[in-house]
Amino acid sequence: MRESGDQPGAASAAGADNGHGIENDSGGAARLAAMIVRLRWLWIAVSLAILVVSFMGAGRLSFDPSARIFFDPLNPDRIALDRFETTFAKDDNLIFVLAPEDGDVFTPKMLALQGRVTECMWRLPFVRRVNSLTNFQNTFADAEGLVVQDLVPDLPYGATGETSVCDLTIDPGAVTPAVAEQARATALSRVELVNSFVNPEGSVAQVQALVKLPEKDKANEVPLIAAEAVALASQVEEAFPDVEVKLSGGVMINNQFAVSGKQDSATLTPGMFVVILLVVGVALRSAFGVLITLTIIAISAMAGLGALGWTGQPLNSVTVLAPLYIMTLAVASAVHLLSSTRQTMLETPDRREWARRALRDHMTAITVACVTTAIGFFSLNFSISPPFRQLGNIVAFGVLVSLFLTLTLAPALVTLLPIKRRTQRASANIWMERLGEFVVARRRLLLPGSLVVVAVMALGLPRLVLEDDFIRYFDERYEFRTDTDFIEANLTGVNLLEWPLDSGESQGINDPEYLAKVKAFVDWMRVHPTVTSVRSVTDTIERLNMNMNEDDPSYLRLPQNRDEASQYLFLYELSMNYGMDLTDQIDIDRRIIRVSNTMAGVTTADMRAFTEEARGWLRENAPELDTAPTGIVHVFNLISYRDVRAMLTGTLLALVLISAVLLLVLRDVKIGLISLIPNLVPAVLAFGVWGYSVGAVTLAIAVVIAATLGIVVDDTVHFLSKYVKARRAGRSPEDAVRYVFRTVGSALFITTVALVAGFAVLAQSGFAVNGDLAKLTTITIAIALAADFLLLPPLLIWLDNLVEKRRGPSAMKTATAAVALIAAAAAFSGYAPQARAETPEEKGLAIAIEADKRDLGWVDQRANGVMVLRDASGNESRREFDSLTLEDPDPALGDKGIIVFTTPRDIRGTGLLTHAKVEPADDDQWLYLPAIKRVKRISSSNRTGKFVSSEFSYEDLGSQEVEDYSYKWLRDEPCPGDAGRTCFVSESYPKNPRSGYSKRVSWTDQEEYRLMKVEFYNRRGDLEKVLTFEGYEEYLGQYWRAEKLTMVNVQTGKETDLLWSDYSFKTGLGEGDFDAQVLPRMAR
Amino acid sequence: MRAAFAALSLLFAAPAAAADEGGSLFSPSYVEFYGNAEFEGTAFAQEPRFPGQHHNNGSFALRPSLLLEWGDGDLAFTLTPFLRVDSSDDRRTHFDLREAKLDWRSGGWDGTVGIDFVFWGKTEAVHLVDIINTDDAIEDLDGEDKLGQPLIRVTRLTDIGAFSAFYLPYFREQTFAGEGGRLRAPLKVIEDARYQVDGDEAAPSFALRWANAVGDFDLGLSAFYGVSRDPALEPVDFGRRLRPVYDDIVQLGFDGQYTRDATLWKLEAISRFNQLDRNLDNTDYVAVTGGFEHTLFGIYETPMDLGLIVEGAWDSRGDDALSPFNREAVAGARLSFNDEEDTAILFFGAADVVTGSTSLRLEAERRIAEGWKLEAEGSAFLNTDDDDLEASVQDDSFLRLKLSYFW
Repeated sequence: MRESGDQPGAASAAGADNGHGIENDSGGAARLAAMIVRLRWLWIAVSLAILVVSFMGAGRLSFDPSARIFFDPLNPDRIALDRFETTFAKDDNLIFVLAPEDGDVFTPKMLALQGRVTECMWRLPFVRRVNSLTNFQNTFADAEGLVVQDLVPDLPYGATGETSVCDLTIDPGAVTPAVAEQARATALSRVELVNSFVNPEGSVAQVQALVKLPEKDKANEVPLIAAEAVALASQVEEAFPDVEVKLSGGVMINNQFAVSGKQDSATLTPGMFVVILLVVGVALRSAFGVLITLTIIAISAMAGLGALGWTGQPLNSVTVLAPLYIMTLAVASAVHLLSSTRQTMLETPDRREWARRALRDHMTAITVACVTTAIGFFSLNFSISPPFRQLGNIVAFGVLVSLFLTLTLAPALVTLLPIKRRTQRASANIWMERLGEFVVARRRLLLPGSLVVVAVMALGLPRLVLEDDFIRYFDERYEFRTDTDFIEANLTGVNLLEWPLDSGESQGINDPEYLAKVKAFVDWMRVHPTVTSVRSVTDTIERLNMNMNEDDPSYLRLPQNRDEASQYLFLYELSMNYGMDLTDQIDIDRRIIRVSNTMAGVTTADMRAFTEEARGWLRENAPELDTAPTGIVHVFNLISYRDVRAMLTGTLLALVLISAVLLLVLRDVKIGLISLIPNLVPAVLAFGVWGYSVGAVTLAIAVVIAATLGIVVDDTVHFLSKYVKARRAGRSPEDAVRYVFRTVGSALFITTVALVAGFAVLAQSGFAVNGDLAKLTTITIAIALAADFLLLPPLLIWLDNLVEKRRGPSAMKTATAAVALIAAAAAFSGYAPQARAETPEEKGLAIAIEADKRDLGWVDQRANGVMVLRDASGNESRREFDSLTLEDPDPALGDKGIIVFTTPRDIRGTGLLTHAKVEPADDDQWLYLPAIKRVKRISSSNRTGKFVSSEFSYEDLGSQEVEDYSYKWLRDEPCPGDAGRTCFVSESYPKNPRSGYSKRVSWTDQEEYRLMKVEFYNRRGDLEKVLTFEGYEEYLGQYWRAEKLTMVNVQTGKETDLLWSDYSFKTGLGEGDFDAQVLPRMAR
Repeated sequence: MRAAFAALSLLFAAPAAAADEGGSLFSPSYVEFYGNAEFEGTAFAQEPRFPGQHHNNGSFALRPSLLLEWGDGDLAFTLTPFLRVDSSDDRRTHFDLREAKLDWRSGGWDGTVGIDFVFWGKTEAVHLVDIINTDDAIEDLDGEDKLGQPLIRVTRLTDIGAFSAFYLPYFREQTFAGEGGRLRAPLKVIEDARYQVDGDEAAPSFALRWANAVGDFDLGLSAFYGVSRDPALEPVDFGRRLRPVYDDIVQLGFDGQYTRDATLWKLEAISRFNQLDRNLDNTDYVAVTGGFEHTLFGIYETPMDLGLIVEGAWDSRGDDALSPFNREAVAGARLSFNDEEDTAILFFGAADVVTGSTSLRLEAERRIAEGWKLEAEGSAFLNTDDDDLEASVQDDSFLRLKLSYFW
């Protein structure tokens, strides 16, 4: 009997091969299949239930239009940004750029128009302030002293009717030609305006609104203001056809995230349906088959959306495409099952038997395919960027639902729908047999040939450049992008870096020395080739100095003493118009000046390089001002680097788990190891292709391997399981390869075409993060098929003929090394907000900050500790330990510490390593047990438990960070135990609800900021424990350490002394000594 | 003991006065002599199953350690001999060097030369990944007492984890109970082992390991090539005795733990090639164990913590496996009193999900005075299937009391 070929789309020809003993029935699968078919009505009911529940969940979905969705709240760069925004205002800006046809923005008409636009923008929702050329606060001197005035004075601002449409009519006489010429001369001479509000040629001008979103209704606030802004812009263009209006700024960016997401899903979904109909139609040639497939993919996609809805998280511009991912992936398994039904219907007229046999023979393969895909997507949880974690979870969940439906609903529908039976055998697939013959015949050429291709492509890897210019995430099809490109080309850069330069003391910005350094930094930036403009209050101060000296140009410099600078700013602010002040440039405490610089035509790498250069300058010329820049651009600059690193682990884990599944399925370790090659080579090749052809890649690259691994593995599984079967049946490697091509070749081809077509549709997204992910996935899947057809068979034949016993999985190393190459570390120190004590809360915080600050810089510390536990009747027990601590200067990160017990002797050598975290995160803790030399990560969520049964709880002994509490100063009074000194008495309230305390009252001495006494109040509000400090000694001339801490539990009468001795500092301990992997040697 | 310590200090301190701190080999910067002595009595619930076995048992063990450090601890020497004297099993009366090693470190590198023991892994009941040391199987059943292994280890600590390479020049054969001992195979295991590949105890083994903590995950990957630490037993002497048989294997291992709030999720998986199974066939197999440990802190408003442990173990060889943990479900609880005496009780049961064979285990400990600790250990074997590996010990349920002195 000749072996039958397979139909297009059928994944195997199980029944037809029985005569050759290659396929064999599995009793368990047959029983399960029979049960599934018997319960068919149940599956229909369950599917309907899934659909209803999903619909209800999907109804709860909202949409989060924000560029910040990409940053986890714990992302250190985001924390720095949030901190910056609490110091200065958190404003989104909205930019109108006006470009008149005649190339002159200083005509009386244009100035009057800018005045109207300024006024109209004031009336947009949530606007806090509008800056424009016309309302620029110009200063000059007159007989009475300083005059602060709008650049174009006396424009009629104020209300012009109560209609919602703003009146744009301009009074032709509002601006006289003389005033206009004066405005031109002033504006073009002012460094604050040129290259930001007006270009040097005077042909393009900006009106900028600062918007403070209430953030109560995230889904609608941004679209609301954006829609009104667009309406205003078109109103202007209508009334003044000779003026072009360009819109940009943070508001429009955020709006773009919303628009592009929705637009993607609206335009791509129909394309996806067309592709699916085509592929399924060609593969199955059955209308009912198409119907069943569509039902399954629709319910699966809805289930993914519904699950997200039930978790209460909003959709965003990445997850909005999750349903399309699910549909693409679900099609493959549905087609797999249905096409095998086409095969079984040849054998029997019994509909139930079609379903039973198809299930029996293909259940395992489909399950493996879906489970590995789900594992791959689940591993996206390692990403530091929340949208990818959500995408991974939604898609994985949807794929698992599609697996369930394919194995239950699909067979149920096959038995119930009046599908016509075809008795005609599909013609044998000659093409696949020919391809098989070709591969076998040319294997000696193909193997080295493909290895060369792999090597050449891998060389493209270093060409990959991580590029996260979030404005260019959107391609030119969007008006936002072309407008922004216009602005960048004609006016100013849109990439904004913020430098909070901290003078180190309250009112410190008036210090002439500090001002001089800030000015030097600003001047340095201004001549830097990539910088378009720099904004700094030092320009205003210089200008004021000149104005206060009768506009004498020789006084256009910084004032020589503190008082002058402070008086000028005070006068200036007093004279400003309503709504104008300096709080967006100087913090309330007058301690920090915000220097902002814009850059144009730069890549992410350029900006990282500039940042490094600028910090190098600061370190050299003003080390006390050195700080990392912030701004949303800066956070994007670093996200790929951070994410590639994080996903390295996720990818490894996915690889291990998926390989484990493969080992289970193939039950052949050697073949399992070989499978690593076709599983990993495609991603490496895809990266190489991308490196040669495009080069720049967004943060999507970090998740590509993990996401595709589960998909490409399906082809490998099908290929290898058939190959193993044929080999076990005694066939030669060459014949086994022929058998594989004949039985599963066309099925692999068709599913790959379906997947490639689906992802190719997704790749049309105008949003680069989605587009790149889909494009890389498309390339990877296509290459995977090529690898399975051209590389794997020659490799198998070669290896099998060699009968080699031991080989190493080198492909894994290659891939890991490749990803590791791309990964790089960047460490940026945080920036601490400081506030001057005014309210009791602020004073309390200031005391805590000062105490914390005075204890900075000790680097590391060693000491010996003794804990003496004493009960109410005076019985004692002791524990002694060595303590090592490593300081982390970043307030956003905690210190690291090791405690090694020396007595009691039976716990000698037991070590406890702690990596402290700022609340509410749990610390990381490892315990070392010397008897079995085991390092074990332990839970540190127990805040309230007693440390070795002492009166100190874990919370008391943990690293205390300023940000763990909120504070309130109560009073000053003589210190307890030392009446000669005065102490601050303040309360602190733990921010973590899991704390065992409602509050602490602490006494801190005013000279050295040492803690003298702390009272702990339990959660009921009763005084529970009192801690006193004795025997303070000063080390290294600045760090105070107590010799004895006594904690008394006033409710039980028990007490614990903590005695410290042999302090030493800066002993040369390093990060490497506080790693869990070296705990055994540290605890020795 | 304190006298001995003083004498040692004097011995090393004399030349130290002349040399700089840590300057010479004879002037270590730190010397410590510590260790413990242990008296143990074991009572068995049932009569011995095999002829020659004693009923009850008493034993004494001594485990002293000497630690010398030079400089800032960058160079250290540790010597830990171990001696046990047993009343009924002449094989359990044995001596071993648990540690005799020189540890050194410098920058991100550290290493060990000498005899040492090394633990890898995350799970509680079954230790799949752990492979460097051979079991000192006559010590206890829990697989946590190991024979000292001669080794050279080099570890490089990097930003992406610790990479270690091991060279194990000499192989230690597993210990087996003698004729008088309980908890043994029905037949006596002779000491003259057979090596399938030409080789003997001097055959070297090699291992590599990567371990890292990434966020809430602690992960390890390991590879081992060399003599299997798990021998198969073949009948010799016309079926009257058993002989251990060793063969070369390759083992790849993964171990991971995810720590989230009060719950630890653990997984270990190995893939081992060429291992001899119970039928002396060379097989490749996969084994997985995993589960979780969840701690309830401060139960019932007391300082006590209750840890709940649930684990499962699976071995693709099933009953042909050399380990009794081939298809096992384990559930247990650890009660830590958090008192001044560090009282703790661990109890768990392990059941073979195929045969139903069940074993129970109890471990309890409490410090009774400064330096003195009392421990109780017990195992019970219930419902043992005759085909199971536990069959030969089904009458050996026992309770053991240990009194240890630590100095």
